[in-house]
Amino acid sequence: MARYILQRLGYMIITLFIIATVSFFLMKLMPGSPLGAAQEKLSESQLEIVLDKYGLNDPIPVQYYTYMKNLVQGDLGVSFQFDNREVTGILLDRFGPSLQLGLQALILGSVIGILFGLIAAVYHNGVIDFTSTIIAVLGTSIPSFVFAGLLQYYIGVKLEWLPVATWDGFEYSILPTIALAIFPLATSARFMRTEMVEVLGSDFITTARAKGVGKFGVVFKHGLRNALIPLITIMGPMAVSLLTGTLVIEKIFGVPGIGDQFVNSITQNDYPIIMGTTLFFAFFFILVILIIDILYGIVDPRIRLTGGDK
Amino acid sequence: MADDNKKNLDHLFVLTEDNQQSNEKINRPVTTFLQDAFRSLRRNVAAMISLVVLIIIIVMAAFGGQMNEYDSTTQNLSWAKMPPKVQGLENIGWLGLDGTDSETIEASTVEAAKERGLARFKNDEEHITFDVKSEGDGTEDSAKVVATHDVYASKDMEDTYFWFGTDGLGRDLWTRTWEGTRISLFIAFLAAAIDLVIGVAYGGISGYYGGRADNVMQRIIEIITGIPNLVVLILMIIIMGSGIVSISLALAITGWTGMARIVRGEVLKLKNQEFVLASRTLGAPNGRIISRHLIPNVASLIIINTMFTIPSAIFFEAFLSFIGLGLQPPTASLGTLIDDGFKSLTTYPHMLIFPAILISVIMIAFNLLGDGLRDAFDPKMRK
Amino acid sequence: MKKSNWLLLVFGLVLTLFLAACSGGDDSDSSSEGSDSEGNAEESSAEQVLNLIEVDEIPSMDPSMATDAIAFQWLGATMEGLYRLGENGEVKPGIATDHEVSEDSLTWTFNLREDATWSNGDPVTAHDFVYSWRRAVDPDTGSSYGPYMMGGVIKNATAINQGEMDVEELGVKAEDDYTLVVELENPTPYFESLATFGTYLPLNQAFVEEQGDQFALEADTILYNGPFTMTEWNHNQNFVIEKNPDYWDADSVDLEKINLDIVKDTSTAVNMYETGEIDRVGLSAEYVDQYAGDERMRVIEEPTLFYLKMNQTRSEALANLNVRKAIQLAIDKQGYTDVILNNGSVVAGGLVPANFVNHPETGEDFREINGDLVPVVDKEKAKEYWNKALEELGTDSVEIEMLGDDGESAEKTAEYFQEQLQSTLPGLTIKIKSVPFQERIRLNEEMDYDLQVSGWGPDYIDPLTFMNLFVTDGPNNNMGYSNEKYDELIASTSGELAQDPAARWDAFLEAEKILIQEDAAISPLYQRARTQLWDQDIQGVIVNPAGPQYEYKWAHIE
Repeated sequence: MARYILQRLGYMIITLFIIATVSFFLMKLMPGSPLGAAQEKLSESQLEIVLDKYGLNDPIPVQYYTYMKNLVQGDLGVSFQFDNREVTGILLDRFGPSLQLGLQALILGSVIGILFGLIAAVYHNGVIDFTSTIIAVLGTSIPSFVFAGLLQYYIGVKLEWLPVATWDGFEYSILPTIALAIFPLATSARFMRTEMVEVLGSDFITTARAKGVGKFGVVFKHGLRNALIPLITIMGPMAVSLLTGTLVIEKIFGVPGIGDQFVNSITQNDYPIIMGTTLFFAFFFILVILIIDILYGIVDPRIRLTGGDK
Repeated sequence: MADDNKKNLDHLFVLTEDNQQSNEKINRPVTTFLQDAFRSLRRNVAAMISLVVLIIIIVMAAFGGQMNEYDSTTQNLSWAKMPPKVQGLENIGWLGLDGTDSETIEASTVEAAKERGLARFKNDEEHITFDVKSEGDGTEDSAKVVATHDVYASKDMEDTYFWFGTDGLGRDLWTRTWEGTRISLFIAFLAAAIDLVIGVAYGGISGYYGGRADNVMQRIIEIITGIPNLVVLILMIIIMGSGIVSISLALAITGWTGMARIVRGEVLKLKNQEFVLASRTLGAPNGRIISRHLIPNVASLIIINTMFTIPSAIFFEAFLSFIGLGLQPPTASLGTLIDDGFKSLTTYPHMLIFPAILISVIMIAFNLLGDGLRDAFDPKMRK
Repeated sequence: MKKSNWLLLVFGLVLTLFLAACSGGDDSDSSSEGSDSEGNAEESSAEQVLNLIEVDEIPSMDPSMATDAIAFQWLGATMEGLYRLGENGEVKPGIATDHEVSEDSLTWTFNLREDATWSNGDPVTAHDFVYSWRRAVDPDTGSSYGPYMMGGVIKNATAINQGEMDVEELGVKAEDDYTLVVELENPTPYFESLATFGTYLPLNQAFVEEQGDQFALEADTILYNGPFTMTEWNHNQNFVIEKNPDYWDADSVDLEKINLDIVKDTSTAVNMYETGEIDRVGLSAEYVDQYAGDERMRVIEEPTLFYLKMNQTRSEALANLNVRKAIQLAIDKQGYTDVILNNGSVVAGGLVPANFVNHPETGEDFREINGDLVPVVDKEKAKEYWNKALEELGTDSVEIEMLGDDGESAEKTAEYFQEQLQSTLPGLTIKIKSVPFQERIRLNEEMDYDLQVSGWGPDYIDPLTFMNLFVTDGPNNNMGYSNEKYDELIASTSGELAQDPAARWDAFLEAEKILIQEDAAISPLYQRARTQLWDQDIQGVIVNPAGPQYEYKWAHIE
């Protein structure tokens, strides 16, 4: 196991290196200039001076070398759009709210979703099954900005139960959490139901039932564990996308998160931030996948974790 | 005598042909896997209703736009933002299809509220009716009046009907909604199809062969997923131009990894199970094991995942228009219509409601149908 | 609203479920929230506190590096230059009390007040201006606005920026601590208002150098000398502006505090306004209908002008004068401003906006004198020009590409213009190309477009800020327009006519006619306005034509 994890960590560094390289060159392909509206006002020679300052006039291999050298030293450079501000600092600043929202939404969504799925599977094809299916389907079929907007309007403005927007303490995070949780809820409910229906139909469940284990005992003791595998597969990338922020929710609820920052830096051509965020996301993603693969082994011993060579 | 007897009896017996093979023949009609699946699908009411609904929506998407005299691009600013009005349904008030806009106004007195109501609808006194909900006692926001404005009458267009109303440029939303549905469905199907082909093949191979191949293939996926979709999307759209095909391609290129991971996970689980091992011991080639044992067993997950790919493709397209990279105007899609309508949620809700309901119905139908298919395909579910 | 109940019903089920799950957190909040929105209105009138939103993070608080409206807004509130803009664009004393101009208009001597201090107690002196201005044009600083605002105005600024001269050669020096002498390259009659601009703010050399890289990154790494100081800056989240007790004119400042939250979405902002969390909100076209007749609504006119840029270098058709004339007349701009923009914007008949500059002698408005150079719409005439043009081009179909971007109502704008042009001018096909904002700037720079909607807001109060956009090869031309007569007229306003205000004015009038009527180089569209809801007890906020958009120095809450 330890060897396996070490090996994977090794791969991780290689993967990150490749991602850094690929996205660096992709970045150079991106059209537009990072200088923004200000450059409209500059003459050719003035523009050169500013480009020189940011090192954007060097040949691309030189820029690449410089970037990678700094990267190894943990330096992601300084932002173009926020004059002189360190990318690392910006990322850390803005990751906090996204992480909090994402975790809250993930926990809320998956716990309720798994419960929904379980109940629906136990009462397969019954009224409860149908209701939870409808809720789950609605959850995935209403665009998140519509749902978020309605939540904000009715709960925040009409009922005044919760603050409308901005980020100023736990109560400010409730509405965006709910808005964000609807998708993991719906997804996990559906996958859970599908898997549980299947698991509950298998022989070992029948055997267990025959041995006199109670209905819910079976569900929790034998069913849940077997149904979790595909759920983990789907929840992993979802966790990453939740934890790394979502533009729409962050924008609507005025959350100073990383998703909003990322899209913003893409439209502003702020290369250092795009690169930094990309690498950060990639790191996070690979880490989560590693954790999932380890979880596979724990949840289902039938899957053997194998290194490159047996 | 004996011979005679034999002769006499001969006519009573006919010799059968000696045919051992036919003895073994099973006379029950053979049903293939697919026929079987469809038979059980037909018994699933919800799935069949969904199928019918989807077919109706697809037909409407193809022909709905031609059902009235308007087209999807002609603008007329004097017709802008008109509420929906439908022949026959215009007298059923709660449906909201009577061609009126209404606004609930709170003020300190009924008069003040009415005055604001008049201003709200451009002081078109003749066509505004007031419904006083609460008289008020002079304190702030105590009086409540519902002002209703007959938009069609005020424009002298009593005999005109926009079934879904019009948008901010005076275009008929009925036509635009159905044409938008067509585009959205097309993008979603195309993206899902590309997704499915690449994802299943990749995930299947990776999971089945395992070992070094799996390792390399998974690292490649990690790299691809590690690069944020948006960067790739923006690049592709800028290079290929923002069209239907480039959006679908961009969606598929960034989306197939999810499918691949699910298929791989499932194949990984299945390939060491007894029935696969048995088949392998009996000498079945890899191709046969994959196509006969693995694919049918992961089919349900593939179908469900595809059912999720379709809405996410439709939504992602909407998201693209949200950040200004969507379809080129004046082409509409459900995503752009919802995005546009959302801005007038509290003022002209009709612009949002129809495409939003349609998108939800499409999603529900796909999901229920997907459920039905899953149940039908899964041998364990068959009774 | 009746119809949204449909939707509510559908979502009701989902909602109740979630609320049940989260009801724990609700109670504590609803009480505080409720009392908040009620209490705010009364308390704040005594408190002199404004709660506002800003639509984005402040990109920079470094006067030399700032390039956008948000930065200049808050630099303007927390710092003070030689002068400050008051009501109706009138120049009010700032750090400078008055100035003398030399005979040849090239040397300006400013007398600075002695009671102005930085927030660390240091006096604000002439040296601070010298340091700051040199820093702005120093190529090592890499400022964009420094060379733009000072180049061609302050002596040697351009040469220094291009590395041909030492920064010490810049035409600004401190005669003593409180006398600043500025030498100009050309006579610049509008220098007073130019000097109110953010790039011309002073900087305390010792402090800036001590902070190094950290300068202006946080609220406490900036020195303030304006009516307010920034006391808290949580990046991308909120910031707080408070009255500066050490400001030389602190007695005129009533406002104690401005709380700013960063909120990017319009409907979110409107919702916050509805619950009383903020005191002012901008309305999008959709909301203007909803709040029609509301007494809290204020329409703020801006001297920002939008026009259709027609690139003459890429499309053969647009190089044709009659095609451009046809385009000028084909779009119904009234319908556009009334229905699509719906925010109080008015149709523009020229390049210089209305209510921006007045005749130096008669006081008449520029726009009134020159009138509407193109009518709002004239489809018949447009067709005439079009047919003539098609004949000249020898074709019966023309395809033109129109750039769109992702701004508010940009999509509708593109669709509307497309339809108007295509339906009025038979044989014309408009292809819309929507690109992200930065890409649009690049395409503009490289002149790789045919048509685009472009806007310009003034940097100082003088017709020149608009008129020099279209001189040959000017950095903002980018559409291949060139007219010798026009160039000469514009050059003369900073040359031989610089000291003859009336003649200079006439040169501008004539140049505008050449640009729009004779050459049909651009098609003016509209002059922008904003529709906002304001709490009625807010008084005295000045909306500036140039520089910081709002001036809060004289604001108070009744």
